[in-house]
Amino acid sequence: MERNPIRRQLAIMRQSLFDQGHVDEQFVQLEELQDDANPNFVEEVVTLYYRDSARIILNIEQALERKPFDFRKLDAYMHQFKGSSSSIGAKKVKAESTLFRECCKSGNGEGCMRSFQQLKKEYATLRKKLGAYFQ
Amino acid sequence: MAHTLPSGNQASDQDKWDSGGLECKRQLLIEIVMRNRLTALVVDGDTTCWVPEQELLHSYGVQTLGVDNSRDAVDLIASDAEFNLIIIEKILLVLNGLEVTMQIREIGVRCKMLEVTACSGESERQAFLATGVDVFIEKPLDPEHLVPILGELDGQ
Repeated sequence: MERNPIRRQLAIMRQSLFDQGHVDEQFVQLEELQDDANPNFVEEVVTLYYRDSARIILNIEQALERKPFDFRKLDAYMHQFKGSSSSIGAKKVKAESTLFRECCKSGNGEGCMRSFQQLKKEYATLRKKLGAYFQ
Repeated sequence: MAHTLPSGNQASDQDKWDSGGLECKRQLLIEIVMRNRLTALVVDGDTTCWVPEQELLHSYGVQTLGVDNSRDAVDLIASDAEFNLIIIEKILLVLNGLEVTMQIREIGVRCKMLEVTACSGESERQAFLATGVDVFIEKPLDPEHLVPILGELDGQ
């Protein structure tokens, strides 16, 4: 158990990221790639993720404004989003991306919109939690 | 998480003791890789994906080159650049991963190719295996999948 109060706080925050299902094993992989030569690796990758994912979310939002929906395009965007999210171990966001893609495959427009709203919520929560953790 | 302790050297020795077998295995694998000087081409347009993938490969001593689009990948291969391993994502700029894989195999490249993608469907897997990809891996690329492949490449 950490004696240093700040380190203890960090350890608790980190544990809750896992316990609440926000991140999975891949997050641990990123931590393992972090070392003295690369001391901020995890935060750097997460920052890349914010940049990449913000762009994709915007693309999806714009695509959802055009009717009828181009499900192939939506699916392709979500494929990329799922890929990035997997790379940082964003568990809940990744799961929601899968649901969205299933809606695309079955041409379920309503389902896509609902799923996307849910995904944005999960994504916002993740950013908040990770933001607090890295501060 | 990086630790910053006052007695730096003492801390890293302690870490080595703690991870014990894992550190030894990693060192052994790095020696294997260095002996063979394995090289890998990573083809993915998404920085969030290729940065950790290349870093993972580096951690095993693999030298990597990354390209973010199909045209550069095919041009590189066509100009006789040789790699032990090619890692390809399905969705790329210019051509998709499936087409790139076919072109690379048509050029006559026989090295191990991994499809590392967010797709999880059986039909996608079959399509890629049919074009000549050796292994189909769902993102993220992890040691569990990578280590046996690096082990196979050793000694070739």
